Amino acid sequence: MSKFEEIAEAVISGEVEKVGELAQDLVDEGVKPSEIIKEGLVAGMDVVGARFKANEMFVPEVLISAKSMHAGMDVVKPLLAEGESSSAGTVVIGTVEGDLHDIGKNLVAMMLEGAGFEVVDLGVDLSAEEFVDAVKEHNPEVLGLSALLTTTMPAMQNTIEALEEAGVRDQVKIMVGGAPVTEDFANEIGAYAYASDGSASTELAREFVGA
Amino acid sequence: MINRKFLAQDILSDEDLNKIHEATMNLLEKTGIEVLHEEAREVFAENGARVEDTRVYLSRDIVEEFLEKAPSSFTLHARNPENNVTIGENNSVVVPGYGAPFVTDIDSGRRDSSFEDYVNFTKLASNSENIDIVGGVLVEPNDVSDELRHAKMLYTGAKYSDKCLMGSALGKKKARDCFKMASMLFGEDEIIDDKALVITLINTTSPLKYDYRMLDSLMEHAKYNQAVVVAALIMAGSTGPMTLAGTLTLQNAEVLAGVILTQMVNPGAPVVYGTASTVMDMKTANLAVGSPQYAKIIGSIAQLARYYDIPSRAGGSITDSLIADAQAGYESMLTFMSSVNHGINFILHSAGLLENYMTMSYEKFIIDDEILSMVTDYQAGIEVNEETIAKEVIENVGHGGHYLADPHTMSHMRDFRDPILSTREAYTSEENLVPAVKRANDKWKNILNDFEAPELDSEIEEKLLNYMEEL
Repeated sequence: MSKFEEIAEAVISGEVEKVGELAQDLVDEGVKPSEIIKEGLVAGMDVVGARFKANEMFVPEVLISAKSMHAGMDVVKPLLAEGESSSAGTVVIGTVEGDLHDIGKNLVAMMLEGAGFEVVDLGVDLSAEEFVDAVKEHNPEVLGLSALLTTTMPAMQNTIEALEEAGVRDQVKIMVGGAPVTEDFANEIGAYAYASDGSASTELAREFVGA
Repeated sequence: MINRKFLAQDILSDEDLNKIHEATMNLLEKTGIEVLHEEAREVFAENGARVEDTRVYLSRDIVEEFLEKAPSSFTLHARNPENNVTIGENNSVVVPGYGAPFVTDIDSGRRDSSFEDYVNFTKLASNSENIDIVGGVLVEPNDVSDELRHAKMLYTGAKYSDKCLMGSALGKKKARDCFKMASMLFGEDEIIDDKALVITLINTTSPLKYDYRMLDSLMEHAKYNQAVVVAALIMAGSTGPMTLAGTLTLQNAEVLAGVILTQMVNPGAPVVYGTASTVMDMKTANLAVGSPQYAKIIGSIAQLARYYDIPSRAGGSITDSLIADAQAGYESMLTFMSSVNHGINFILHSAGLLENYMTMSYEKFIIDDEILSMVTDYQAGIEVNEETIAKEVIENVGHGGHYLADPHTMSHMRDFRDPILSTREAYTSEENLVPAVKRANDKWKNILNDFEAPELDSEIEEKLLNYMEEL
């Protein structure tokens, strides 16, 4: 097994410490940090993502794999050359005003992190202004809005309108999700896309950033 | 309302119940509950609870003192007193699906539910001999504005049915609008507060939290002696421990805190101990309601509620299936039968739901109505007396004869219920091969075509309409 395969395997099986050690070994051998990320860490998470989508892995296993990948990232990241990025892109995410239900949003955030995105999780019950401020501050490629209640779905539209008014609407690709949210609703309120679950949102986010 | 003749074997032993209770007492005292409503925290504090920041801690003494005050059963009143129900005792009150944002039927497929669907399902529920309560979020009328939705739902329930009603959980004002309108049905302009006219679903936000609107509504209900079901929907593995015992313990702590608050606001206020907690499928991260795990939770909840001597809510005819197929049928029978046989007193979600709680199906509603009717008949038990034992008839017919023409057969052949949907035809040709879902499709259309609403006093209707005008 090549060193890259070995570290990818360790990511897949969720061996947090081992991934850190293997990453350090590769660094010591003089392998380029960006290659360790691409051929080892992200390659491992790609397999995890595919297996999860095929219902072959449990959610907690996916989370521990993501944690393993991050253990590798912690070693490699500081060594990246200037201009090289370890992140696939930045996603700002949160549940809209009035909605405290966040388990779906948390799952999506964890899946995105696992796929190498920088995720700014704003939390729950966020006003349109808070989303606008976060978009201005973090300048993300993707903004994720979540709602579980039919009564809070209108807040998604309000948020999109507020982004429009603030003039930052076109800076981000907005994706929406949550149990009662549909593709039709996403289109109606002018969201860029609808994601049905963590895997779908990861694929969409990758499309958005062209990764 | 199903009057139960017997109970299924218990799921938890007395020792199991004690262990769950002890752990719950410890959690309530040491870990506390997040209460996102200032007035609610004040009520807790005034009644001796320790309150720190937004967190409320309940000692064993407080829990015991206030649980003691909660009634073990209560009557919910309908505008037609013949339709009153007693929630508690050996009764299972049957309530249709609640909260679905989508509807489906085999002609038009899955779509956002509308006010028209709300009216249709109210008519189907009103027509059913097995369903006791209408109103509430029977399906989500997505095309009605948020300010009017609660009132239009209550009005629709009252207009097309004379059964009991569900109210609104979305804050104090909407709750009170529902009390006002329900009181009008009884000819009163002021809110009736000496008997329960509506029952409303209050949910915790797991783990260990209550949000503002739910608490606002809960307190208003208790204040006016209106009934609430306090329930948690924990997804074991994500919003609660992976184990069922852990989920039961967490759910117990959450629900007891809400039950206690109702009794602090108004001792004796009608309240039901509820759950919709079940396991999460750990590979898809979806809720799994049609599972044997949920059936076990249902039985355990009935036991926990009996432990505290308050009525219970759980179950329904629910399924994870996306269409009204065999899976929908066998899962719904499992969950409904478990609910009744373990002694659940208030069975929400008893008709119509597919895809856990997401979609109301017109055909599934009819299929579930058949399940409700079958289980009701089964729970009625067997009448045993001289006439039914029929010893003399057996002697008379003797050996190798038949009973077809016997007077005893003639006088009892109408004792058993007729199926409303199931077929008992024998095969003669391909024409017999009509699936239940197709027969259900014909049936709901016929019911809607032939529907006649019970009479509603025109003066009362006028008042309700005027009230809604002003909202």
